[in-house]
Amino acid sequence: MINADLDRNGSEMSEQSVSSSVEAKKPIGYIVGGGLKANLQARLTVPAQKVQEGAFVVVESGNWLFYGLVTDMQLGSTDPRFADEQTETRLPPELAKLLHGQTLFTNLEVMAALMMEQGPDMDEDPEAYQAWFQKVMEEEIRPEPVKTVPQHHAEVRLAGAGDIAEIFGKEGEKGYFRIGDTIEGGHPVCVDLDKLVQRSSGIFGATGTGKSFLTRVILAGLIKRDKTAVLIFDMHNEYGPDDTASDTGMRVPGLKAKFPSKVRMVGLGRGATIRGKTPDYTLEIAESDIKPEDVMMLAQELNLRETTPTTLEALRASFHETWFQEFKQMRTNAYEFDEDGKRVPAPDSVEAWANEAGVHPGAAEALHSKLRRLFNAPYIVEQPAANALQQMIDNLDNGQHVVLSFGKHETDLDYLFVSNLITRRIRDVWEYRTNNFRSGHQGATEPRPLVIAVEEAHKLLNREMASQTTFSTIAREMRKYYVTLLIIDQRPSQIYDEVMSQLGTRITGWLGDSDDIQSVLTGLAGREALRGMLAHLQPKEEVLMLGWGVPMPIVVHSRRYDDAFWEELLEKKDRRSNRDILKDIGF
Amino acid sequence: MSEIEIGRLLRSGTTGFVVGCKVNQLNAPGFGAMVRVPLEAQYQVYGVIYDIHIEDDGLVRQLITAQDVPEEVLRDNRENRNVPVEIGVLALGYEQERRIFHLLPPRPPLSLDAIFLCNPGEVAHFTSAGRFGYFRHMLRDRDKPVEELLAAHLYQARAAQVDAGNEDWYQMAVGELITLMRDDYQGLIKTLSAVSEI
Repeated sequence: MINADLDRNGSEMSEQSVSSSVEAKKPIGYIVGGGLKANLQARLTVPAQKVQEGAFVVVESGNWLFYGLVTDMQLGSTDPRFADEQTETRLPPELAKLLHGQTLFTNLEVMAALMMEQGPDMDEDPEAYQAWFQKVMEEEIRPEPVKTVPQHHAEVRLAGAGDIAEIFGKEGEKGYFRIGDTIEGGHPVCVDLDKLVQRSSGIFGATGTGKSFLTRVILAGLIKRDKTAVLIFDMHNEYGPDDTASDTGMRVPGLKAKFPSKVRMVGLGRGATIRGKTPDYTLEIAESDIKPEDVMMLAQELNLRETTPTTLEALRASFHETWFQEFKQMRTNAYEFDEDGKRVPAPDSVEAWANEAGVHPGAAEALHSKLRRLFNAPYIVEQPAANALQQMIDNLDNGQHVVLSFGKHETDLDYLFVSNLITRRIRDVWEYRTNNFRSGHQGATEPRPLVIAVEEAHKLLNREMASQTTFSTIAREMRKYYVTLLIIDQRPSQIYDEVMSQLGTRITGWLGDSDDIQSVLTGLAGREALRGMLAHLQPKEEVLMLGWGVPMPIVVHSRRYDDAFWEELLEKKDRRSNRDILKDIGF
Repeated sequence: MSEIEIGRLLRSGTTGFVVGCKVNQLNAPGFGAMVRVPLEAQYQVYGVIYDIHIEDDGLVRQLITAQDVPEEVLRDNRENRNVPVEIGVLALGYEQERRIFHLLPPRPPLSLDAIFLCNPGEVAHFTSAGRFGYFRHMLRDRDKPVEELLAAHLYQARAAQVDAGNEDWYQMAVGELITLMRDDYQGLIKTLSAVSEI
């Protein structure tokens, strides 16, 4: 059989882990029913309180191991009268206990997710075991989706550290990064960072559930891993600079403090400071960089009319790249008198341009008025002192990571406008480079994978906006172009379904709203079973990981973002796995 | 320990037999006690007493209606009665070549075979063999006072098992009974109520 605790995944086992492993090997029940479409049913043979919803369990059936999640627990009785009658009041405690033990029971509902062939017994058939072990090492035998069912009465046990490592990988190996621990047993659960960034991901949870801290943990992991560039739109200035935890009041270090050379902190607007600190450089947006699409995306925020697209198109036709600058400089309600003494629009007025361009003057004037908030934005300038946008792209390209802090520009308008404009530029660059690379252009190198972290994502990816922003395009198809999103949001139901369904990995904390719960589970198998688990998560630090990027759904006690985390992340030497060691010695 | 003979076989069948005994032999056997009938070398049948029956006769009827019957006459009629006391025994299994089987005996005892009360060692030996298969026979006939019989048997067998050092036997036995009877709510509750009195 698989000796998961042989620890083919890595380091020697501690005394504590050995004892917890022995505990984990004890059966907690046996299979009594179920199927592939319905979940498996297991009769619990230990007190119900020893198992919780979301527990990761292993079913041992013949030569196969089935890995699953406890999605429900139900009280049952061999006859309803045994449950109805309080026999403990009629019988001596000893007899009542015996009676209850035989007639009252708890059934577990287990959502089986993966199965894996387990090898022969090492003692009984060493040669066969060796052959099997070799296949495991060469990854010929891997956990695979469940395609059959375990036998009746197959033993069910809680997963041990070895089982968890078998499925979720072992910390330090390849891109495996510990994101937290299992609820029962506290065994480390890892996420494959390399896989995580191959598709867009989402981190969800109601306010106060630790989303931001978990996001920091993952971002820190990505930066440490250093295979992916990370761009963070830091709307509330909490990722780059140091922060104070709202629950503990403890000072928590920002990414900049821990990765000073890898992370570039960029402030929005000239002279910007972020929490009193000067950023590495500031970003100003050239007026010529603004396209009509950037404005259209603000339709809701600026309450733009239906005539806006026509007006914007006319502006582009008239002025090309300088449309924004030209439009900004136009005057409104400016008139002069012609030679005949007739009052006419001034030549530099909106109305004059509108008449000339064949646009309704009222619509043009209204648009001009509504764009005033953009015209007045201090970070939009005619000629930026430096091409910070290009510098950001260069940073991302050169192995650095960028945190764009919005500083005092924290309005939705600023966030929507700036993040979308930058993302559009980045998308163009990455798409161009990818195409060059794929078509074999000389000197073209593979683009560095890029993850764009977006807070308050529903503002950019709601139903109305999704079709207009670059973000939805990235979520849908930019995986091919090495750009993916990391969406952070507390109202996933506000995000467009089509975008949600494209998210590879979803990590979600407690959600109170049933629409939000429904939304997070969009497009996933076993939604009904997972819904209950999601609703019953602890409000703090418990998250459900699910989706394409994780082998199977699992509830995790998320890693704390504190000094101990940083100590482990930055000072721990990379351990070599047994696999590597065995490879080196030619096994 | 000396053997206690409680009587001789009156009639028998595969599932049980009836023992006839004198009144002065009636001090030893009790309801729920285990008995054995050695039949031949290496083969004896085991059973449990489920009924002790005293039939009337003509003289007893006359004496009951008579006035001022002397005490010695009453005692004489009680102890030297013509009709024996009948003890109903339910067959629980047999022993053959020192091995206990909780199956019905292949051959029933014959008339006038001597029946002996099991001593605690024999009770412990029989009841700890296998996994309480003999409960089947006790539960089969619902016309018998099964609940009371089980309670009486458990009381006596527990004592024998405790003497033999098997402290857990009682719990296992009750657990097995619950397993066997859990589809019969009324019967199980009645049995456990009876068991709770011991």
